[in-house]
Amino acid sequence: MAWIAKNSAGTQIERREQPYLTDELKAKFEAEVLPRYPTRLAATLPVLHELQHRYHYIPYQAIEEAAAFLGVAPAQVLDTASFYEEFWLEPKGKYLIMVCQSLSCELLGHGSLLEKIKSKLGIAPGQTTPDGRFTLMTAECLGSCGTAPCALVNETLYENISVDNFDRVLDSLQ
Amino acid sequence: MTPEELRHKAAEERTAQKRYKHCLNVCMAAGCMSSGADQVKEALTSVVRRYGMEEEVPVRAVGCMGLCSAGPLVSVEPKGVLYQEVKAEDASDIVTSVNDVPVKRIHCPTDTPFFTRQKKIVLENCGKVDPERLEDYIAADGYEALLKVLTEMKPAEVVQQVTISGLRGRGGAGFPTGLKWGTVSKAGTGQKYVICNADEGDPGAFMDRAVLESDPHRVLEGMAVAGYAVGADRGYIYIRAEYPLAIKRLRLAIRQATRAGLLGNQIFGTTFNFNIELRLGAGAFVCGEETALIASIEGRRGLPRPRPPFPANYGLFGRPTLINNVETLANIPTIIRNGGAWFASIGTEKSKGTKVFALAGRVQNTGLIEVPMGVTLREIIFDIGGGIPEGKKFKAVQTGGPSGGCIPEQHLDMPVDYESLMQVGSIMGSGGMIVMDETSNMVDVARFFMEFCMTESCGKCVPCRVGTYQMHELLDRIHRGQGTPTDLELLKELCDVVKNTSLCGLGQTSPNPVLSTLRYFEHEYQELIAAANQAHAATPAGEVTR
Ligand SMILES: Cc1cc2nc3c(=O)[nH]c(=O)nc-3n(C[C@H](O)[C@H](O)[C@H](O)COP(=O)(O)O)c2cc1C
Ligand code: FES
Repeated sequence: MAWIAKNSAGTQIERREQPYLTDELKAKFEAEVLPRYPTRLAATLPVLHELQHRYHYIPYQAIEEAAAFLGVAPAQVLDTASFYEEFWLEPKGKYLIMVCQSLSCELLGHGSLLEKIKSKLGIAPGQTTPDGRFTLMTAECLGSCGTAPCALVNETLYENISVDNFDRVLDSLQ
Repeated sequence: MTPEELRHKAAEERTAQKRYKHCLNVCMAAGCMSSGADQVKEALTSVVRRYGMEEEVPVRAVGCMGLCSAGPLVSVEPKGVLYQEVKAEDASDIVTSVNDVPVKRIHCPTDTPFFTRQKKIVLENCGKVDPERLEDYIAADGYEALLKVLTEMKPAEVVQQVTISGLRGRGGAGFPTGLKWGTVSKAGTGQKYVICNADEGDPGAFMDRAVLESDPHRVLEGMAVAGYAVGADRGYIYIRAEYPLAIKRLRLAIRQATRAGLLGNQIFGTTFNFNIELRLGAGAFVCGEETALIASIEGRRGLPRPRPPFPANYGLFGRPTLINNVETLANIPTIIRNGGAWFASIGTEKSKGTKVFALAGRVQNTGLIEVPMGVTLREIIFDIGGGIPEGKKFKAVQTGGPSGGCIPEQHLDMPVDYESLMQVGSIMGSGGMIVMDETSNMVDVARFFMEFCMTESCGKCVPCRVGTYQMHELLDRIHRGQGTPTDLELLKELCDVVKNTSLCGLGQTSPNPVLSTLRYFEHEYQELIAAANQAHAATPAGEVTR
C-alpha cells in the first residue's frame, strides 16, 4: 500500500566517502536524459532506476545526491522513491524472486509454490535470506496468465512452474 | 531514409525471403522462451548447418504465435505447418521433413477454430516477423503508413481517417480515438506530446506485452503517425518494469528506427521530427491511469488528479498530450494503409475492428487471440478456447480485470462489444479473460480483486483508500464463514459510495467485481452467511466467534 507513510524520522544515514551518483553517471544523464525533458525533476525515475540497477538498492545518501543533482529537496526524491513498490530503500538479495499472486496464477496453484519457496528459503515475502542471496516478493500479474503459475527472478521469467522444477531453479542460482 | 530507400529496402528484403524454399520460424516470445524455445532454435540451427542447408532453410526468431499453452512453437513457412511442444531432440526430424509430410508426433493442426476463427490486424505480424529485425518489419509493409501520411496526407486528413475507422481506445474505457486525436490537434500550437500507455497492469491481461515483444516497430510507427496528426514531436512510452523482454526489444527497436531515420529529425526528408523516449514504471498499478502516469513521467508520485482539465488540453508538463494504449496505436498503421472505411467494415455498429484477448484460467487453449468485435463469448471460450479442461463445468468468465465483472453462463451468447459487456455488468477493459469453472468460489474472486484494489490504491482520496480496505474486510469475513446479513448490507452500501465518490477510475470501478458477483451469484454469499449463522447459533454462549 503505497500510501502508508514509511517512518524515516531519526534515520541514521550511513555515509561513505565515494559518491553513489558518480561524475560519470551525472555526465551521462546530462547528455542523454536531461535534454529530453523540460524540467530536471522529470529525470527522477530514470536516475532512481539507474542507481538501483548499479547498487541493487537506493541508499539514503544516494537520494541526497540525486536531489542535489536534480535541484530539488531530498524529501521530494524520497517521497517519490518511497511511493513505488519496486524501489528498494534497503539492500535486497542478489536474486529477487517475484512470485505472481494474481488470479490466473492463483487458480493454477501459486499457493503451493509460494509455500514451498517460503519453507525452502525460510523467509516470508518482503524478507531477504541472511546470506543475502534471495529476496522474496509477491507481484501482481506478470502478464503470463496463459502459462501460469509464473515468477520473475531478476529479469528472467519462469512460466508453467511446478514446485519441483522451481526447486531446481533455486538450487542453480548461486 | 528517403521514401525510395524504404521501398527499395522492402523490395530487397522480400526478394531475399523468396529465395528461401522454406523458413523455420521459432516463437521467441516470453511464453515459449520459458519453455525452452532458445534451445530449440539452437538445435534447429545446428541441424540445418550440419545438413548444409543454410541457403535454403533459414531459422528465424519470431514473436508470439498465440497458442502459448502449447509452446515452444515452430512453424514451417510458407507451407504453414505448425509444430507444438517442440523439444531440441525434434530438430532433426523437423529439418529432414521440410519437403515431406509433417512430423506427426508434434504436428499441430491449424484447421481448428483456434486458428480459423481469428482475424488478425494488431497481431498480423506476430509470429511472422523477427521482432529484433527492422528489415523484417519493413518487408511486411512497415513504415509505409508513416510514409503515406508524411508525403500524401495533411494532419487533419489523418485524424479524419481515424475518426471514420470508428476505432475506440483499447486501454479500457473505449473512448473514440478519432475524437481524442481531434481534440489534441486543435489544442493550440506549441509543444505537444504523445504518450503510449504500456503500463498494462490488469491481472489477466497480457495483450500489450505480446504486441511489444513480437512487433515493437508497429507501436513506434503508430506513435509517429499520431505525432504527425496532432502536431507533437516527442513521444514517451511508459512501460512497466516487470516486462524485461518487452523493454529490451523496444529499446532495440527505437535504436534501429532512429538509426534508419524513421524516427528523429526530418523523417523521410520532410519537416516532421519525432523522437521517442522509453520510461519505466516501478510497480505501481495506478500509474496506468493517465493523470497518474503523467505525474510519474514528471518525476513525482503516481497520484491521479481530478479531470477536467483533460490531458488532451493540459497534460504532460502542462502541455496538450495524447495518451493512447499500445493496442490502440498498433491498429493505426493498418488503418492508414487500408483506410478508415475498411476498418469500419469489421465489427459491430458501435465497436469497430478487432480486439485482442488474453485467454487464461480454466480453459483448454490459453494464449492470445484476436477476433472481430461482435463474436460471442461462447465462440471465444468453447470454439477458440476449446472449452473447460478435465470435463469440468463452466461457471463464469471474468473480463476487464479489477474494473470488470464476472459473466455467467446465461450471457454466453451475447456478442462481445463495449456496450453489451457494460449491460451485463462488466466491461471490455483491456482484454483479459479469465475463465472459471465450477470449482471457483465467486466470493473468493470478488475478495481477490478487492485485495488488489486495496493494495494498489494510491491513497489520495478517502473513498478509495478507506473504502477498498473496509470492503475487503467485509468480503474476507464473509469468505471465512464469519459474515452476518448486516455485513452484506454494509458491503452493498459501501460499493455504492466508493463507486460514486472516488477520484479516479481505480476507486470508481473497484466495486464492479463485487457488484457483478452479487448480481449473478448472490446465493454464494448467502450460503456462506447462512452457514456462519448456524455455526454461531451452535456455539455455546460466552464464546466469541470473531
Ligand atoms: C486504475 C487505472 C489503470 C489503468 N491502467 C491502464 C493500463 O495499464 N494501460 C492502458 O492503456 N490504460 C490504462 N488505463 C486507462 C488510461 O487511463 C487511459 O484511459 C488510456 O490509456 C487511454 O488510452 P486509449 O484511449 O487508447 O484506451 C487505466 C485507468 C485506470 C483508472
Ligand atoms: S495472473 Fe500470474 S501472470 Fe497473470
